[in-house]
Amino acid sequence: MAGLTALILLAVVSALGTQTAFSELQQQIYDARDRVLPALVHIQPVIKNYRTGELKKQAVVGSGLIFHPDGYVVTNYHVAGKAERIICTLYDKEQVPAIYVGGDPPTDIAVLKLQLDDYPGRIAVADLGNSDSVQVGQQVLAMGSPLSLSRTVSAGVISTKDRFFSSDYRLPSGERTGRYNLWIQTDAAINPGNSGGPLVDLSGRVIGINSRATFFANNLGFAIPINIVKETTAAILEHGKVSRSWIGVQCQALQELEDYFGAAGTPGVLIASVDPGSPADINFLKAGDIIMAIDGEPVSARFLEELPAFYKRIASHRPGSKITLRVLRDENEYEFSLVTKELGDLQGEDFECSDWGLTVKAITQQMQIENQLQDTLGVYVMGVKQVGAADVAGVRPRDVIASINRKTVCGLADFISMYNDLSAVGTTKILLTINRHGAIRLAALNVDPKEDGPAHEQ
Amino acid sequence: MNSRIVTRAGTLLPLSILLMLLVLPVYGARAQNFDFEHLDRVVRTFSVIVEMKVELSFGTHTNEQEERLLGTVVTEDGLVIFDGSFLAQDDALSSFAGFAVKTTPTSVEITAFDGEVYDAEYVGTDRFTRIGFARIVGTDDKTFTPVRFTRNHEFKVGSWVALYMLLPEYVNPPLAADVGMISALLEAPEKFPLTVGYSVLELASVLFDEQLTPVGVLGSLADPSAPQTDAGGLIESFGEFDIPMLGVITAERLEKLITDPPQRGKIDRAWLGITLQALTRDIAEFLEIDASGGIIVNDVVKGSPAKKAGFRIGDVVYEINGQPIEIDREERLSIFQRRIAQMGAGTSVEFSVFRPGDQVTDSLKVLAILEAAPLAPSDAAEYENKALEFKVRDLVFADYIRLNREEESFKGVVVSELQRGGLATLGGFQIGDVIQRIDNTPVRSVSDAEAVMAKFEVNRPDEVIFFVWRDNKTMFINVKAVWE
Repeated sequence: MAGLTALILLAVVSALGTQTAFSELQQQIYDARDRVLPALVHIQPVIKNYRTGELKKQAVVGSGLIFHPDGYVVTNYHVAGKAERIICTLYDKEQVPAIYVGGDPPTDIAVLKLQLDDYPGRIAVADLGNSDSVQVGQQVLAMGSPLSLSRTVSAGVISTKDRFFSSDYRLPSGERTGRYNLWIQTDAAINPGNSGGPLVDLSGRVIGINSRATFFANNLGFAIPINIVKETTAAILEHGKVSRSWIGVQCQALQELEDYFGAAGTPGVLIASVDPGSPADINFLKAGDIIMAIDGEPVSARFLEELPAFYKRIASHRPGSKITLRVLRDENEYEFSLVTKELGDLQGEDFECSDWGLTVKAITQQMQIENQLQDTLGVYVMGVKQVGAADVAGVRPRDVIASINRKTVCGLADFISMYNDLSAVGTTKILLTINRHGAIRLAALNVDPKEDGPAHEQ
Repeated sequence: MNSRIVTRAGTLLPLSILLMLLVLPVYGARAQNFDFEHLDRVVRTFSVIVEMKVELSFGTHTNEQEERLLGTVVTEDGLVIFDGSFLAQDDALSSFAGFAVKTTPTSVEITAFDGEVYDAEYVGTDRFTRIGFARIVGTDDKTFTPVRFTRNHEFKVGSWVALYMLLPEYVNPPLAADVGMISALLEAPEKFPLTVGYSVLELASVLFDEQLTPVGVLGSLADPSAPQTDAGGLIESFGEFDIPMLGVITAERLEKLITDPPQRGKIDRAWLGITLQALTRDIAEFLEIDASGGIIVNDVVKGSPAKKAGFRIGDVVYEINGQPIEIDREERLSIFQRRIAQMGAGTSVEFSVFRPGDQVTDSLKVLAILEAAPLAPSDAAEYENKALEFKVRDLVFADYIRLNREEESFKGVVVSELQRGGLATLGGFQIGDVIQRIDNTPVRSVSDAEAVMAKFEVNRPDEVIFFVWRDNKTMFINVKAVWE
């Protein structure tokens, strides 16, 4: 009998204890909610899509967060990058227009500015935390507009704080992304529409911006660590963009190969590939070199998860800086000094040639390398409209237009002025010289004559 | 076998429609008059049943399939022809798949109609007629009765031809006769007595005229979508014919093949060495060229016959040996490519060329001596490493085009086959990777790869490091080895 009483008592005490802890946790969640939810923004931008060979405007939905008292909102580049018309709905359900301030495809971050002139209320600003101090298992809340359902809060824990994704992943606008950061993985429900929304710890500080989730899986969401976001947004607010140094090396985790390179136990970063024409290339760095230090400071990437920090380390130099690399090659150490170059835009500006039925892009240095082009002359064909003049003439996406009517196209500005001149005159016969994967070919476009007659009656 | 029938069944319907439209009215005009009782006996003397096991490899996996076909003995020492279409598609499949698809006959068995069974070896398949060759082996003294084709047969529209086809295994007797008519005597894209009403299941069957003279075998017209390109197996366009055009591969064409049967890996086609595009009407108008068709030279390959002949980028070829090139759209390009390919290495060819200059367009003749085309991916030398479970092949011309690399500066071997779950796959290899170094040794050919790997077979290291080119970048691949 005595034994049974003890059991019951214990059970009661235990239940009381759980009750108390539960209320505390609940209260923390309420507090965290109240500190961030008022700064949450439901974003409806109209973005431009050039992939089909014509400019198509697309209304999308995403999430965002007010992070600055002047009404700046952070969201994903893939939500509002270069968006034209942006409607934001604030927490109080008031609609406020916003403008696109700048963005950074490599980190998938964009900054918008709310146009608050007619806004009756006062905006709330969220506190940004420190993503370096988060812990696996830590409880978090995700906030945003999954499937356009605004002001949605979901809860979970941090599943991993150093998830690595290859930077081969591309944004819908074509840029490779994710090279400079790891990801915070969470099991808080994240769905399409959550993109750009905050991941929040229980002290109400934002520790990440939710950006990706895995289809055909449950509870695998990924947030960009807020420390990366802070740097990116600061650069965008100051310069309108993030400026990065580029030396042109692709690296590989050293772990599997350290014995082969006689570098067992030695910290270092293994160069797997050198971009042709890059600072690394012209300074004779080569695949198999192991970078041990940058400007005397040791660097290491034994594991894939350490690569983003190394790339970021290089990128964080002011473009044009001289850096000194200590390199292990054939078990000897050498020093290489090189001057970094500006990474520049991953993808060039877009342009629609509606008369010809195609869209083109300026060719950036990174596109030149990626597409094995000799130089950045010409323009890159982004899309070809089906059964348009360019399509019929055999122009294909990824072609490079080298000349128009035998006149060399130097770049996008050149192309646009030539196109506009020909369109203004109403030229219906256009001969393009095209570079397709290293081979030259001709394309004769038959452009529909413009109808100069009176506008159609309604 | 079943799969072949299923895949080909699709072509039977349009053929039968054509048959109804074109052949039936003719029956009324003049009836055929074959002595099939006699022909059946004749056919059985040189006909055989060819049973083959064929390995089809698609990079990461290999399927085996069985083929059962009607064959014909064509020489006394036992050379046999059969429909080799399924063996001549490697290049076509490979150019679409981006990696080598390879069909390899692993065993051939031949059964004569007297019930005798023979072992045979696969010899090769002609790329143009798609006639396959096998040779009966292990019967040194035996003399076979071959079919004797009649040369210089005069084909006439309206004359009848007959053939025998092989029926499925579960029916008896195994042969069935079929009658057709010469429906047209085609001049272009090649000289070809066309028949209407036969099916692709009857390809390579011997055709007899009403005097029961063997006049050739059933074959298909040069298919514009066939991948025998000047660039050595690279063409993106599909052909414009949905229905194969069947007709007579004449005794003259067969004789050449029988004397010198095609051998796997031996180059049997010529090339000029240019990349080209069709002279469409729109482009002709721009270039102010008065030609009904032609080809534009977009690039001239270093060291090629075209280079030696003095071809230049921008040249427009409008005649071959005085005959106009009627190519005014991309889909017809392979007519040109095939014509060149079939001419054979060493042939002198005169091309009529427009050469647009700054002021005037010159018209000139360019004389080129064709050479053997570069190897196709499926013919490239291969090396298999069983321990690490990968297969590589030499880089060929088509690879350099596909990868946009220069032959002088870019060397290596292409990973052509990987075992699923094999060691090389686990190490991170992908089909199409170009191995440039193994350990620290540069690899320029499969023999280099073989030599390095042979050393490892002795040393048995725990891991082998490969330096690999993939997607315009390089990387190191560590394969953990298990040596048995």
